[in-house]
Amino acid sequence: MKKLVLTRKASQMVFLGLFVYILWSTTYPLKGLFPSDAFFKIDPLTVMFTSLSERVFLPGFIISLLMLALTLVFGRFFCGWVCPLGTCLDLTAFGKKRKTVLREAAGERIRRIKYIVLGTIFLFAVLGVQCAWVFDPIVIAARFVSLNLIPWVTMGVERSMVFAIQRFDLYGPFYDLYRDLRSSFLGININMPENSGVIFASFALLLLASGRVPRLWCRTLCPLGALYSLPAKLSLLERRSEKCTRCGVCSKNCRMGAIKDTGAYNKAECVLCMDCVYDCRPGTSFNWHKAKRRDRAQAKDARGMSRKDFLLFFIIPLVAGFKNKDETAGMPDIGLIDAAVIRPPGAQNEKKFLNLCVRCGNCMKVCITGALHPVMFESGLEGLWSPRLVPELGYCEYNCNLCGQVCPTGAIPSLPLPEKKKQILGLAVVDKTICLPWVKGKDCIVCEEHCPTPDKAIKMEIDTSGIRRPIVDKTLCIGCGICQTKCPVRPQRAIRVIPTA
Amino acid sequence: MENVLYKLETYLKKQISRKAFLKFALGGLTLFIANNRFLKLAFAKAEDSTGRPKNKVKGNYDLVTAEGPDPYKNTVQAVAALGGMEKFVKKGAVVVIKPNMGWDRTPDQAANTDPMVVAALVEMAYQAGAKKVTVFDVPCNDERRCQENSGIKKAAEEKGAKVTFVDHWNVVKAKFPYKSDMENWPILRDAVECDTFINVPVLKHHMLTGLTLSMKNLMGVCSGTRGLMHVGIDNKLVDITDFMNPDLTVIDATRHLTKNGPSGGNVKDVVTMNKVIASTDPTLADIHAAKLVDKDPMSVPYIKAAVARKFGIFDPASASIHALTSV
Repeated sequence: MKKLVLTRKASQMVFLGLFVYILWSTTYPLKGLFPSDAFFKIDPLTVMFTSLSERVFLPGFIISLLMLALTLVFGRFFCGWVCPLGTCLDLTAFGKKRKTVLREAAGERIRRIKYIVLGTIFLFAVLGVQCAWVFDPIVIAARFVSLNLIPWVTMGVERSMVFAIQRFDLYGPFYDLYRDLRSSFLGININMPENSGVIFASFALLLLASGRVPRLWCRTLCPLGALYSLPAKLSLLERRSEKCTRCGVCSKNCRMGAIKDTGAYNKAECVLCMDCVYDCRPGTSFNWHKAKRRDRAQAKDARGMSRKDFLLFFIIPLVAGFKNKDETAGMPDIGLIDAAVIRPPGAQNEKKFLNLCVRCGNCMKVCITGALHPVMFESGLEGLWSPRLVPELGYCEYNCNLCGQVCPTGAIPSLPLPEKKKQILGLAVVDKTICLPWVKGKDCIVCEEHCPTPDKAIKMEIDTSGIRRPIVDKTLCIGCGICQTKCPVRPQRAIRVIPTA
Repeated sequence: MENVLYKLETYLKKQISRKAFLKFALGGLTLFIANNRFLKLAFAKAEDSTGRPKNKVKGNYDLVTAEGPDPYKNTVQAVAALGGMEKFVKKGAVVVIKPNMGWDRTPDQAANTDPMVVAALVEMAYQAGAKKVTVFDVPCNDERRCQENSGIKKAAEEKGAKVTFVDHWNVVKAKFPYKSDMENWPILRDAVECDTFINVPVLKHHMLTGLTLSMKNLMGVCSGTRGLMHVGIDNKLVDITDFMNPDLTVIDATRHLTKNGPSGGNVKDVVTMNKVIASTDPTLADIHAAKLVDKDPMSVPYIKAAVARKFGIFDPASASIHALTSV
């Protein structure tokens, strides 16, 4: 029966490859085979809870319902066969001899936590606050791939080739190959996002934890897993052991800790990895059947969440808390600092933006100038890992609306170009204490020549000696930040963009 | 919790052997040195260069203007009247065409060179027997968008040219026989080490210099912090023109961006002129182009500096100028 395990592994690899490919192709000119938000559209956690908290139907709502319907038939196939984070966790645990097998009681205890996480997300969503992104596995994997893996790989390849060309004087066909690659494979942004180390560290922590206890994350915290295990409890496909000898191999090896010492199993926890089919000694066989009438004992074992808990977390808040959402409501302002960052174009309503944003990193990946970076606490605790424009590093390209096109939840609205050009991100301010024409009386005007607005938001004031000194026209400035990026004054730029409320 | 603390305690109390420590330290040191060495070599220092050879090919005329509705035909006629591309491109030559494609703008916004002018030059260069024609520019906006939206990438690649991204690590250090502010400035190696260099600027407005012309267009072969070139731009541009010594200067005056340059973006500011100027001398070309748009050449700082330094053909009265008109 090894065929089943191999099929599962192949499926995992295919979907992980697809996931990386989609994020890889999330770059100018967006010509990938799949839409760049494909994996977020089939993710019921972000789609449904963002829809619920914002009281809108996001595109992909139907698809995510379909995913839940499929789970009702097959069980948690997504976790075992598709989920990119799950695949990463399996890959780290692969080949590790020393695995900690949790005792049954301990396993029971930790697995409850994820329902509490899901319940909390639901409770907040009913009240109008979206916090599904915090523990969403797709988002966590996407952030790692977009902001760590792809930049590192591209930068590594690029730097190595440059090294080889310069060191061994390979200015012939190898240099041509390098240039061809730069126009395709290496043509994506090679920029190290701010705080990417923290993103890597948190991802590495997940991997390390599941190196000791397999799939610890999925068992303990994953709210998407919790969401899938609700319909999985009733799934039609079921594992049966006819001639069980109670040898205990399957329960020891089960990555989800779903098989009990008695040989019975917890249907809501099973991710259909098929290992138990493969592990089972000859003479006994496991088969997958269409579920028949559930007998008492199995029903008790298949418990995912108690009726009491379900009522507590889902029904009562829904009845009690659902009302028309107050527009001023949103994530409570628990941060210590007020929002002091420049947001992407069209996302200037800070509360609405933070509520819709799932922090997937798509906009930062696609940003053509590498201007968008994840924040840590610059916009408060609630703004963690949301995108911010850093004009020192890049600017908002005037003729570009890619970030809106790839945003899975519409936190950055997908605006047509004429609309996008009118979006005001901030305001440029000339620092007259360091600006070359203002202080040293030298001609410069770099900011003026780069200003993309057709009528130039930076005007020139000619002083007595004929030196042109820049001043900003507040009615024309859109705060794209190109003036700050290009300003030649160092270390601090002489023209800086400040966020406007 | 106690369990964890206990484990931590035992781990901390565990003594590492001298051998293990040495191994660890040695490994770390090797990695550190290898990394430093790698970075140093990957950003190797640029070689010195005194620029392109200073000898100049003379054409039938010093300057030719061609007027007509089709920029492609204008370019072909102007270069043919100058003596044909064969004069400038030898068989098997490596040709670099440096248009102005520094802005993420469409051709009708007139911030970049007209794609048809570039296409005509590429085709003529290949007909004259060029081995390889490359087209590049150090852009102000994103490189991919500039190449795509200016239309130059498509037009030039159709004619067989290679439109490349610039590599800022592949540069030479400029050296001058006289004192210059451009001393040690990084210049793209591909632009310097070629057989024929054709400068293809577009005639447009610029706040600082009044007009962007051929000498200003040569900023597009300079790497480094180009914003700093604006300080004392007049002599710097003459120096870089002397350094690059373009074989052929073709000024695209098909459209003239009259204000809000050099990026423009407003079609209302664009005036159609339907002219192409071809010349072997950058100073003469710039003076002539400035006159074409009724601007005093002496009000353009770099022309003024070139005239003051007696650089190139600075006196248009002594030059042979030929005008062509087609319908």
